[in-house]
Amino acid sequence: MQILLERVLPVFFDIDQVGNSQVWNKTVSFQKGENVHIIAPSGSGKTTLIHFLYGLRNDYKGQISYDKSDIRKFDAEKFSAWRMQHISIVFQDLRLFTEHTVLQNLEIKRSLLPFYPENNILSMAKRLGIDNKLHQLCKTCSYGEQQRIAIIRALQQPFDFLLLDEPFSHLDELNRQKAMELMEEESNKRNATIILADLREITYFKSERTLHL
Amino acid sequence: MSSFKNIAPFLSAGQNTLSRWLSYFGLGVGVVLLLCSVQMFININELLKEKNSRKEGADFISVTKTITNDNMGKDNRFTPEDIKDLKAQPFVEDAAPLISNQFRVKASAGNIIPFSTDLFLESLDEKFLDTVPASFTWKEGQADVPIIFSSDFMEMYNVFAPSQDLPQLSDKTMSSVTIILECYTPYGVQNFRARIVALSDRINSVLVPNNFMQWANKNFGGVSQVNPSRIYIKTIDANNPQLLNYLEKKEYRVNKDKTKFGRVKQILQAIVSGLGGFGVLVILLAMLLFSFYLQLMIAKSKDNLQLLLTLGYSPKWLSKTVAKRWIPVYITIVLAALFFTALFQFGFQHFVMYGREELSPFVNWSVILIATILLALSILTNYKLIKKLLYKLA
Repeated sequence: MQILLERVLPVFFDIDQVGNSQVWNKTVSFQKGENVHIIAPSGSGKTTLIHFLYGLRNDYKGQISYDKSDIRKFDAEKFSAWRMQHISIVFQDLRLFTEHTVLQNLEIKRSLLPFYPENNILSMAKRLGIDNKLHQLCKTCSYGEQQRIAIIRALQQPFDFLLLDEPFSHLDELNRQKAMELMEEESNKRNATIILADLREITYFKSERTLHL
Repeated sequence: MSSFKNIAPFLSAGQNTLSRWLSYFGLGVGVVLLLCSVQMFININELLKEKNSRKEGADFISVTKTITNDNMGKDNRFTPEDIKDLKAQPFVEDAAPLISNQFRVKASAGNIIPFSTDLFLESLDEKFLDTVPASFTWKEGQADVPIIFSSDFMEMYNVFAPSQDLPQLSDKTMSSVTIILECYTPYGVQNFRARIVALSDRINSVLVPNNFMQWANKNFGGVSQVNPSRIYIKTIDANNPQLLNYLEKKEYRVNKDKTKFGRVKQILQAIVSGLGGFGVLVILLAMLLFSFYLQLMIAKSKDNLQLLLTLGYSPKWLSKTVAKRWIPVYITIVLAALFFTALFQFGFQHFVMYGREELSPFVNWSVILIATILLALSILTNYKLIKKLLYKLA
């Protein structure tokens, strides 16, 4: 799978504003199997880019394609098919079902198109140290714990691309490394690509390419 | 793949239980009303069926002029103008005179049945007859005359026969009895052998072939053109108010029995149709209430549903899965309604109609068909509505 950006620019961005960007208003292609690190200071449109790539927003000029198909022409049904099998995501704002338990949050994603059997949830939760929280309501978990829930949720499905939008903002150094390790491991299993967007460089993320937004 | 069990906790379906149950109840009541009305409509049709009297989907009625004290002495027969005017009316498909005998006729049954009476004969255009056997023809010089006899007269005969020491006759024996027609002519009595070739439910008369009547009237009565006192009308609907108004204005009399019968049927069917219409209204209201409930449920679960869609759940799959949940509910409601209708029909046939044979104790197939269509429609509408609401979120 390939994601191609051709002269993509948010409609609310000025062309002069993005002169030094390696992504905005340029042609950029992401290939399967090649990790990409996007470093973006605040206000440079990091979350906007991730949302464009995932198809949540389309207020941009230019074109984004999945395997040469313009995603602007996708309907909800087509997006769901791609999201179910090819693209997974960890949102900056996490987007969890806060009124439900941690396990329910993970299981709803796993059961959509299971990549792993049910017991895998527990082993992943153990690795990231939230196994004792599984039956707790999501809203009672700390933000750091919720971030780990969102990471584990993203790993419950098959994917070619894993989009990460500041996935570690509320984790301590040790937990960041554990989480990164788990994600890289899972990505390798699927021969997938991680596109990680963060404010600064994450040194333990093994990327083939670094782009400045 | 995921199932409804997985997504059920993400829908706030538990709320608004009252409106949900109310809409189920309303739907049930509506369906029962509609199915019972359809069944009753069919029942009325079965019970009030005018056997054999309708031919080619038309009603046949005989019309005479009303005899009052004022016109008693006058000629109350129909003139050719009267007939022309009648035929010209849009609600009259066709009209033909009933020509009566212009000479005296006596009938006797010979020696087997010692019975003799003065008789009247009439003839009518064949297309107005309900039963025309091939033997209902006459040629000049033929001594045998075929007769079509009214079933009502036959019944009357059988009523008074025992008191007159006459044998009662079945339809079959009646046709084998030879009746001697004694026609009084200016030159003396001429006898014909008459045989009943058919019984008619429609016409209260003794009918002979048209050409016989014309020949006999000319030769025995000395008249070739006779103004009839009865006209036979073919109309699409004997209960057409325009027709009844016309007849009233012209002071014509109709066979009231027939139109009264039709009127009762019409009124009953109108009532039942109204009830059925009310049933449809109740169904619509219940569906509306249910759609409000669905909209509320989806609005309340909006954030969750939106997130499910974001995570990769397909709107089509979600709509199908959510809609499927109500299929058993709809099936239960319609089956329960069908059961009530069956119970009602059985009760009606058994206890109200005392098991009358023309009425089936079971529901008619069309009621089952309507129930099936209703079921399919409600499942489809439900699915469409959920799909529409979900696609709005996507």
